[in-house]
Amino acid sequence: MSLLNVKNLKKYYSAGLIKKRYSVKALDGVSFDVVPGEIFGVIGESGCGKTTLGLVLSRLERETSGEITFKGSKLSGTLKLDPETRRQIQIIFQNPYESFDPRLRIEQSLLLPMRINHICDNDAERREKILGYMKDAGFEPPDAFLNRYPHELSGGQLQRISIIRAMLLKPTFLVADECVSMLDLSVRASVVNLLLDLVERERTTVLFITHDLSLAGHVCDHIMVLYLGKMVELSTAKRIVESPLHPYTRVLMSYSPSIFKKREKINVKKLGVETAIGSGCVFEPRCPYSFEKCVEQMPPLIEIEPNHSVACWLYLKT
Amino acid sequence: MKNIVLDVQDLSVHYRINKKVIRAVEDVSFKVEEGDFVGIVGESGSGKSTLAHTIIRLLPTNAMVVSGRIELLGYDVLSLGEEDMRKIRWKEFSMVFQKSLNALSPVHKVGNQLADAMKAHNPNLTEEEIIDRLKQLLRMVNLPERVLKAYPHQLSGGMMQRIMIALALLNHPKFIIFDEATTALDVVTQGQIIEEIKSLVKSLSLTGLVISHDLGVVSELCDEIVVMYAGRLVEHGTTEQILQQPLHPYTQGLVRSLPDFAQEKKKLSGIPGNLPDLSQPVHQCVFAPRCPIATEECFKTVPSTEEIDGRRVACLKVGARI
Amino acid sequence: MRFRTDFAKRYLSSRYGLAGLIMFLTMLIMALFAPVIAPYKPTDISHDMLSPPSKVHPFGTDHLGRDVFSRVVHGARVSLTVGFVAAGLSALIGIVIGALSGYIGGVFDEVISKIIDSFLMFPVFFLILIIVAVFGRNLVYIMLVIGLTTWPSNARIMRAQTMSIKEKAFVKIARANGESPTRIIFTHIIPNGMYPVVANSAMQIGGAILTEAALSFLGLGDPSVVSWGKMINDARSYMSFAWWSIVFPGIFTVITVVTFSFIGDGLQQALYPKLSEVRNE
Ligand SMILES: Nc1ncnc2c1ncn2[C@@H]1O[C@H](COP(=O)(O)OP(=O)(O)OP(=O)(O)O)[C@@H](O)[C@H]1O
Ligand SMILES: Nc1ncnc2c1ncn2[C@@H]1O[C@H](COP(=O)(O)OP(=O)(O)OP(=O)(O)O)[C@@H](O)[C@H]1O
Ligand code: SF4
Ligand SMILES: [Mg+2]
Ligand SMILES: [Mg+2]
Repeated sequence: MSLLNVKNLKKYYSAGLIKKRYSVKALDGVSFDVVPGEIFGVIGESGCGKTTLGLVLSRLERETSGEITFKGSKLSGTLKLDPETRRQIQIIFQNPYESFDPRLRIEQSLLLPMRINHICDNDAERREKILGYMKDAGFEPPDAFLNRYPHELSGGQLQRISIIRAMLLKPTFLVADECVSMLDLSVRASVVNLLLDLVERERTTVLFITHDLSLAGHVCDHIMVLYLGKMVELSTAKRIVESPLHPYTRVLMSYSPSIFKKREKINVKKLGVETAIGSGCVFEPRCPYSFEKCVEQMPPLIEIEPNHSVACWLYLKT
Repeated sequence: MKNIVLDVQDLSVHYRINKKVIRAVEDVSFKVEEGDFVGIVGESGSGKSTLAHTIIRLLPTNAMVVSGRIELLGYDVLSLGEEDMRKIRWKEFSMVFQKSLNALSPVHKVGNQLADAMKAHNPNLTEEEIIDRLKQLLRMVNLPERVLKAYPHQLSGGMMQRIMIALALLNHPKFIIFDEATTALDVVTQGQIIEEIKSLVKSLSLTGLVISHDLGVVSELCDEIVVMYAGRLVEHGTTEQILQQPLHPYTQGLVRSLPDFAQEKKKLSGIPGNLPDLSQPVHQCVFAPRCPIATEECFKTVPSTEEIDGRRVACLKVGARI
Repeated sequence: MRFRTDFAKRYLSSRYGLAGLIMFLTMLIMALFAPVIAPYKPTDISHDMLSPPSKVHPFGTDHLGRDVFSRVVHGARVSLTVGFVAAGLSALIGIVIGALSGYIGGVFDEVISKIIDSFLMFPVFFLILIIVAVFGRNLVYIMLVIGLTTWPSNARIMRAQTMSIKEKAFVKIARANGESPTRIIFTHIIPNGMYPVVANSAMQIGGAILTEAALSFLGLGDPSVVSWGKMINDARSYMSFAWWSIVFPGIFTVITVVTFSFIGDGLQQALYPKLSEVRNE
């Protein structure tokens, strides 16, 4: 039984309300299942639609078409959610400094959502609970931080509080959009660890969005690879990291700077000034292995091994 | 024995802002030998860019060099007059700036802007010679010639960054500083540019610095690594030494906070805490408040940079493993 | 809160802002303590008509022998009241409508934007003139009418602010947390986005004072209050030989308008500091 099922999700952005001058296919036919309790990774380069996916799934942005089923009931079609479902889906964003109302003290920023969702009976209990979470997250002494304004805290501290704010609502499903990519290396670990601890404790399912393949490989159970709005590969994290099949994933893997292992880089084709995408494979313009078929048609996503789907003609040659 | 191209001695640079003094660089010394690339790593605000700007003497007006000496390609950089400096900057040495992606004017074609930059330094070149040199430069950074006719917004981040690199190489400098030259790019483009920089460095026999907060990037490009923390040099060694056997607790923490593909799904380890307030003078090890092995002594003494087995470390508990 | 002290510091760094503030405080004291400061009652008639400035009457007297200085001092009360009430109303309406329009978006926003645009093109003073002529010459009406006709510029500013704030992560998180649109608008968007409207309102205070003066000058002012506009209107016929009865209220009107434009300038400075003053971060 899956917690979240997404079928053929599309999101096109168009500029101009009356004259639709151009449209960006931020998501173009994405389908996947998320099982309860897992950490589902979404990776891909800048602009491939990761944030869009997070916003659509957390019902902050409407999809163009497609179906989203959450705990057996349909979410797609409207942004109006009943308060209970609203509480169950939470989101954390990339920029910790933008994630807090600059005029509210941390305490208010944490209390407000709890009050709205009737977590605990009164503010005293809520405060108690907040302090407990803060303490677990390594804020010492926790109440000293509650009185501060967001600009008085560091990015790493704010991002940890951002995670606490989401987890205080006991969500079933949490979208974490690049939650460490703006932080310094030395504080990333504390943020990721806090997230992992809390979601394990509360059995929360996570959509973990990142552009960092090594981080995804480290924390996720499944990984989905997006390229220009299309799913190109989906498998367990182990498979994606150890034996990636899609040329893009392989290229990504070979270019991830690592101090542990020097990998041979796969050369990709150079992109020109104009990047026109025809009807062929989305990755064709850069793919080092492309052949005639690739220019003609976008390959479908096919499960070529158990639990391992790839959209590439290389694996469909029969 | 190779020639020393860059020699930084006891350099301290402070900023004055709102009557406060920010100690951005404190007592930093290191040398770069001919043909070597040295990486400067450290978290945001540790003074990496300030160090680079001091070396090419492009500090903002509220900055002051409090002490130290910099010798670059035989020039005593800090005592050179502004006029003399202008003659050699960009010719003898140059820099690719952090956040340089929007350095070009959006309303002029890339080619014209590059040509102007070239003319400014070589007034005697003819139009044709300039165009020839530009084309040659573009080939060097793997860009098609048609980018000369493009406007900056028509180019991707990777292409723009290659242009900035081309711009820095315009006058064939001997020494170059890359300040976060690949940071804003996606992994594949970053990887490609790193490869390109590698081959450029080899073919032009350049010497220089690579500044990045990303140990991965630095380890790909550099022979040696300088680790900075809160404006101070905490460790300096060969890339292998730093990555395989970091001595300073801060470097150890940095190396261990990298996720690794090979690792089991286990906790990442990081360094709890934040960079200290740089406007307060310190009379202790700057890293002590975050250091897992700090003892009372660390809160009383400023550690000096000691040389051990051909590498330099500023830690009172040197060699101690966590 | 650092934001506030920074704001004050930047405001005071503007020379105009500082001058405006000092002038405004002087005027406020004048208005608050008018009965103490003014040597006579503003309505006291005497036989000493149209006498030039002297020791007993520093600004001279008007055609009914009333002390011009005392009337100017009391007039400050009316002018400031008109300015604050009208601009306040205008700000209130503008903020609410602008925030709603920017937040809700879609067709509602298109309609509101069209209304704002047409208002901004329409010569508002004539509208005010007509309304006052029809509904009567009452100070309350005058203030209401000015407020009700000048909000569109505020709404436009607030709408732009709202559009940028609603894309910020904290607003998206508030939505995910289940905060209602009303709550989001009133607790997050308006408090964070209203400062530019405040700066604009300072300028509008000057404008409202001028409008009231103009109405009074045209004989459409409230007959039961002492206002600078009305004094100027009264003094018109004696202008050629009793300059003081028209010059002093005139000067004060101009100074007041300048004061609020200075304050607006200071607020602008504080809100949009020059690039050179922003620390690069
Ligand atoms: N509100 C919008 N209006 C128009 N286009 C948009 C909008 N939001 C996103 N896009 C476009 O949709 C595409 C996907 O954007 P998205 O932000 O989802 O990418 P991303 O994978 O999160 O990238 P990054 O790693 O840079 O955050 C991009 O081409 C982007 O320009
Ligand atoms: N012009 C300036 N005026 C005042 N302080 C400054 C100025 N430029 C930098 N600083 C401060 O000096 C310190 C060092 O900054 P620097 O830019 O050298 O760091 P960095 O290591 O390059 O960081 P990053 O990785 O973010 O680029 C920081 O605390 C910064 O806030
Ligand atoms: S389908 Fe062709 S172009 Fe696309 S990834 Fe596979 S080989 Fe490359
Ligand atoms: Mg994103
Ligand atoms: Mg820097």
